[in-house]
Amino acid sequence: MDQSASSPASIGLDAVSKSYDGRVRAVDAVSLDVKPGEFFSLLGPSGCGKTTTLRMIAGFETVDTGRIRVGDRDVTDVPVHKRDMGMVFQSYALFPHRTVAENVAFGLRMRKVPKAEIEERVRAALALVALTGFEDRRPGQLSGGQQQRVALARAIVIRPPVLLCDEPLGALDRKLRQQMQFELKQLQKELGVTLVFVTHDQEEALAMSDRIAVMNAGRIEQIGTPTEIYDRPRTRFVADFIGEINLIERPGGKALAVRPEKIVLGAPGAVLDGTIDSASFLGGQTLYRVALSDGRQMLVKETNAGERPVRSVGDKVGLAWAAADGVELEA
Amino acid sequence: MTTIKPDRRSILKAGAAGAALAALGAPHIANAQAATLKITTWGGKWGEIMKGDLLPAFEREFKCTVSADQAFPFLPKLQASPRGNPIYDVLHANSNEQWKAVEFGIVEPKVDPKNVPNLKDVYPYAINDKIAGVSIFTSGIGLGYRTDKGLGKPTSWKDLADPKLAGQRGGYLIPVNSLGQAHLMMLGQIYGSGMQDLDAAYKALEALKPIKLFDFTGQMEKALLSAEVTMGVIHDSGVYRYEGTPEPVDFALPSEGVLALEQVLTVTPGSKVKELAYAYIDYMLRPDVQKKLAEAVWYSPSNTKVQLDAKYDAKLFNTPEKVARLIQPDWKWYNARKDAIDLRVTRILRG
Amino acid sequence: MSARPDAGHIAYLAVNGAIITFLLAPIAIITVFALNPTPYISFPPVGISLRWFEKFFSSPEFMGALWLSLQVAVVVLVLSMVIGGLCALALARGNIPGSRVLTAFFMSPLMLPAILTGLALFQLYLLLDIGRPVWGLIMGHTLVAVPYVLRTTLAVLHNFDRRIEEAAAVHGASPARVFFEVTLPLIRPGVFAGGIFAFIVSFDQFPISLFLVMPQGETLPVVLFNYMKFDLDGAIAAASMVSILMAVSVVVILEKVIGLKSYVKL
Repeated sequence: MDQSASSPASIGLDAVSKSYDGRVRAVDAVSLDVKPGEFFSLLGPSGCGKTTTLRMIAGFETVDTGRIRVGDRDVTDVPVHKRDMGMVFQSYALFPHRTVAENVAFGLRMRKVPKAEIEERVRAALALVALTGFEDRRPGQLSGGQQQRVALARAIVIRPPVLLCDEPLGALDRKLRQQMQFELKQLQKELGVTLVFVTHDQEEALAMSDRIAVMNAGRIEQIGTPTEIYDRPRTRFVADFIGEINLIERPGGKALAVRPEKIVLGAPGAVLDGTIDSASFLGGQTLYRVALSDGRQMLVKETNAGERPVRSVGDKVGLAWAAADGVELEA
Repeated sequence: MTTIKPDRRSILKAGAAGAALAALGAPHIANAQAATLKITTWGGKWGEIMKGDLLPAFEREFKCTVSADQAFPFLPKLQASPRGNPIYDVLHANSNEQWKAVEFGIVEPKVDPKNVPNLKDVYPYAINDKIAGVSIFTSGIGLGYRTDKGLGKPTSWKDLADPKLAGQRGGYLIPVNSLGQAHLMMLGQIYGSGMQDLDAAYKALEALKPIKLFDFTGQMEKALLSAEVTMGVIHDSGVYRYEGTPEPVDFALPSEGVLALEQVLTVTPGSKVKELAYAYIDYMLRPDVQKKLAEAVWYSPSNTKVQLDAKYDAKLFNTPEKVARLIQPDWKWYNARKDAIDLRVTRILRG
Repeated sequence: MSARPDAGHIAYLAVNGAIITFLLAPIAIITVFALNPTPYISFPPVGISLRWFEKFFSSPEFMGALWLSLQVAVVVLVLSMVIGGLCALALARGNIPGSRVLTAFFMSPLMLPAILTGLALFQLYLLLDIGRPVWGLIMGHTLVAVPYVLRTTLAVLHNFDRRIEEAAAVHGASPARVFFEVTLPLIRPGVFAGGIFAFIVSFDQFPISLFLVMPQGETLPVVLFNYMKFDLDGAIAAASMVSILMAVSVVVILEKVIGLKSYVKL
């Protein structure tokens, strides 16, 4: 595939800050480094600053302080149209008055690529997103999933060193989203492009990313691989935001975090004892709510093995976990 | 006239919008050399004769150009223009409007015979104190009626009140039409103590209901033609013009007298071409000019020297005896009370 | 109970029928009048003739006025689309302080009786001693036509997904190219819809024209109004028919050539 011709670029943010009203910082001294060819996610709840961060990388927003670098180039003051990036939006943002082929050709036309080459590259890009034969349709005639593929083709056809995705799958239904997650990941690997992906969906981030930056209130809470983020959350916020977790408060304001599936249920007399309050059958697993004697509640996930029956509400149980599975949170 | 013509031609030629715009700015300065006389005049058949014949001849004779505005309303436009640089030099209007204009001080109340020699030949009614300026023509307001409805020829204004004509008689919206206003005064004359007996007039007006009301005389004309109205107040010229056509309409002169509907010219005090303005009035009073217009639109000429063809001679007011039948309303008196009258008649005619 | 929706439906159709009749009846009467050979409205019509159309089309007075009206309306169409479109963009996008007040200000010619606007312009022109040039008439018409374009364009801009412009920018379009490649094509339906109003407002304009037309340079509505005072005949009706057909064809032509179908989801 010659789409991979341009070499992926690294991205560096150095203490970038942005405030819209001069008081609250939407983005507060964010620093991060995205490696060439990396699938990098900005994850967090709405209003955490992830989208603003992405928009500053794209150039839609100016930065108040700090620098942004793409590859060796400082792009902090470079206008949007000269940053040479591809981007996919949640609302697709296709040009409704143009055909699919014209949409995809747009970036190439702006770059004054010869006509014959545009045609060839548009064809290839559409083939890549499995939309061959849709060239002459208008965006309004396509389904949401198809529109997002067109948007993707429009972004990658210019062979950008950097591809930005702003919640690109947010408007799709669950099943389609999972399929698109897979396809996008495949495509990114195939093209080797550096991809910055904004999402509020932690499962999506975990499934797709090479690394994730979890953001909260304009700041980065933790950067790490999905496993690191999941297994070794550094803060209460990260622990709580990613998946389900039990927090066991420690003196001095610290806490110990244990994932429900790391807890082993046994006879009473273990680290903690409790009574099963409720049991939710999840298919491969069962989720138990266990009430401890001191009133706290713990979540426990147990894999359903054939020979062990599902436990009943009211059963007395003991809870235990390997020392390595308990994470001491920093804050 | 010809001042404006280049305007339109240039517009017509310039196909593209932009070109049209560019072309339109210039012509005002282009003809600034020749004196321009700005007048108002009527449209219709009258306008055709004026623009097709009389005005071009005047322009040739006096080496000037005439810009003739046929677009109403004349009075508000004149009123809105600066006194020192009025939009018209000569105002042609009906008598009541001229009195309004005199009151506003935007036209000269009298024309000096020294400036308009032909004034020596006009009937007295054309320059008496019921007239501001000079009346160049008059029509007679009487009753128009259909001849195919079994009516006898009306002889009196009272015939309009015939109960058989309920809903079939025609009048005017008095606030906006001077024929309606003149007729109201006539009602006072016939049913009361005189033209200024408004109470009698209001009562008589009430008795004319149901009555069909019109804005313009042209509408009354068509209503007579289409038999929407069997009898109505109208000026002679509005009926005589169908002379020789098969239309079953005729005009009756009530015995109590015919109301005068004068065509009056005045000069604006701020005019920069007063000599030309007086020359124009004099020109309009020339016997040949008067004859041409009189026979085109059935207006009675003011100049005593006009010799009309037999057909017109038989009907128009062109002898001292016939002229004596004309009653001229006192518009100065009427205009001073117009607002109160308008209120009252609107209430009467609406209720 | 099953009869109820039927009764409702009949009432619905009746109301709609009544409204359509009310809207179209005047046009039907005009048509009868225009085709009737008598010089007054007679019912039932006594025959069909094109004499009034003949009179209309052979009168240099009417033809000149029709031409002038058309040309003025076309210039007004173009001017109000440019001015109204740009105003709308500035108001919707410009981050102008007090843009609400400004919008109201630009809409205000619609609130004022047009006859006052006409009189005011007339006095202004006379005071400035510029006479009553045709461009003055065009300016008067444009003044009351711009709000229509402004309104329709603002409506489109209000529903405009700015990400579409951002998508163009991020993929390499300079601000100017974003405008011409994306913004303009997308607001075009709004601008043209307003333009159609502008054309009709100008072509049918009477109160403003009343004061601003020059002798011998009168627009069709003014000529018709004055004609009516002296000759009320079928030529008036024929002229009205021609005006209606003209307005309809402008709408149809613009629709066909430019396409008013909005790409923007409204």
